[in-house]
Amino acid sequence: MRPDFYVLSWNDLLVSLLFIAFSLFLIKKWKLGLENTLLIGTLRTFVQLTLMGYVLTWFFDQQHWAFMLMLLFLMIVIASYEGTRRQKHEIPHFFPAMLVALLGSAFLILGTILLFILDVEPWYSPYAAIPIGGMIIGNGLNSTALTANRFVGEMKHREREIETLLALGATPKLAVYDAMKTSIHAALIPNINAMMTVGLVQLPGVMTGQILAGIDPIIAVRYQIMIMYMWFTTATLANMIMLAIVYRQYFTSKLQLRRELLREIS
Amino acid sequence: MSYIISFRLCAIYYCPMENDLLFQFINVNLQVDDFEILNGLNFNICKGEFVAVIGASGAGKSSLLRMFNALTSPSSGEITFRGIGIDADIQALRKNVGVLFQNPVVFNGTVRENLLIAGRWDQNISQTLDHEILSALDQVGLGDTKLTHHARDLSGGEQQRLALARTLLNHPHVLLLDEPTSNLDPKLAREIMDQIEELREALNLTIIAVSHDHMLMRRYAKRVIILAHGKIIGDGDFKTLDKSQAFEDAGLLKNEVKDAT
Repeated sequence: MRPDFYVLSWNDLLVSLLFIAFSLFLIKKWKLGLENTLLIGTLRTFVQLTLMGYVLTWFFDQQHWAFMLMLLFLMIVIASYEGTRRQKHEIPHFFPAMLVALLGSAFLILGTILLFILDVEPWYSPYAAIPIGGMIIGNGLNSTALTANRFVGEMKHREREIETLLALGATPKLAVYDAMKTSIHAALIPNINAMMTVGLVQLPGVMTGQILAGIDPIIAVRYQIMIMYMWFTTATLANMIMLAIVYRQYFTSKLQLRRELLREIS
Repeated sequence: MSYIISFRLCAIYYCPMENDLLFQFINVNLQVDDFEILNGLNFNICKGEFVAVIGASGAGKSSLLRMFNALTSPSSGEITFRGIGIDADIQALRKNVGVLFQNPVVFNGTVRENLLIAGRWDQNISQTLDHEILSALDQVGLGDTKLTHHARDLSGGEQQRLALARTLLNHPHVLLLDEPTSNLDPKLAREIMDQIEELREALNLTIIAVSHDHMLMRRYAKRVIILAHGKIIGDGDFKTLDKSQAFEDAGLLKNEVKDAT
């Protein structure tokens, strides 16, 4: 028999604090000196997520397209900032590049899902737009942040190669083509691998969550399939938009490699 | 004092015919992060010349060479190519002005793929027939190399020749050489330079070669530009400059000059 719902009460949540207590005990025993950090982390998780719950409830109650778009935009701004912060080396104009990449991919993919796949009514219903938008933005952020780091490393590594191609008459885009290809490969292959092993090795979080919340596994699986496809397309699109903007920063209008930018890269 | 003496050796070099003027440098300066790399360069390069640019390391030779195909632009001053600003059409300029670097870049792939790399953006090259490729290999002395060989398996000298053949497929009129033989043994260096000299005659190329090895260069170049601390301290034929202090001022030992002559 399948239960309809597992409701997690505040009291239940208190019990989950035992996990932290147990970790604290282990940390103390091994004298790792992480007690304070862990306590702050525990508290912040609780406070941030609880606040987020209230904020989301409030937003969901508004039922207005402008609120939904505002929240999505805010998420994209935060994600772009986070992506900038994750770079080992400063990439010129990286924040706007992330912003455009995430806006572009979220707009296209979320739009398609809301309007043509889930047929959400009304289209701006935050119950669909916010969680799916969050997944798209989060996945786009993780993927582009990684790709950008790799791309800059590849440029440094291939500096002479790039200049040789320029000297043979290539445009900057063609001169960095191999660097782009390698870094996009590195970002997309884990996504493809995840598509290969999903369901065999691990059960994805969304699906697990839906099943726990009482949804029929067959339906949960369909959602998961859509999400896997969506993830891959987000990663592809966001990376391409981001790289199309970023590579240009490394060349002058006279088709010269800005070697001074690569010099700072280790 | 010696700079003043040398200065007289830098009379503006006129080309025999006006149409022969290829490059003109007018008051060219290059500054990178407050560091003056090239300072007040004025000279002409004429069609068909073999010019050696000589100087100690750090004199600014490579930076100067990069200006001929606009991989670097001057901070101030003007460079013209055939009478027009050098950056009017940079892609066309770079096909016209080929370069051979000190350590040639050989791409992962076969000899054929390396030669046709410019076919990615140049329709003419993507349609280059195998017999043209073979003739380019022949011109650089790699005639018996199989096109299907992995390019990175070639020796250092062969890789340098492959890079030269790759440049030749663009049908350049000017060839820039950036210490092209400094990583090769003297015999091989001589062979490659002989090959380049043959090409210059056969294809009517203009050659500008940067080197710290003026003993090698004086075998081929009719004209030498001596750079020291970013300034030209000598410009003329080797014989005239040998009589001056210019080589010594550039940090090149006089006995090297004597050995070579």
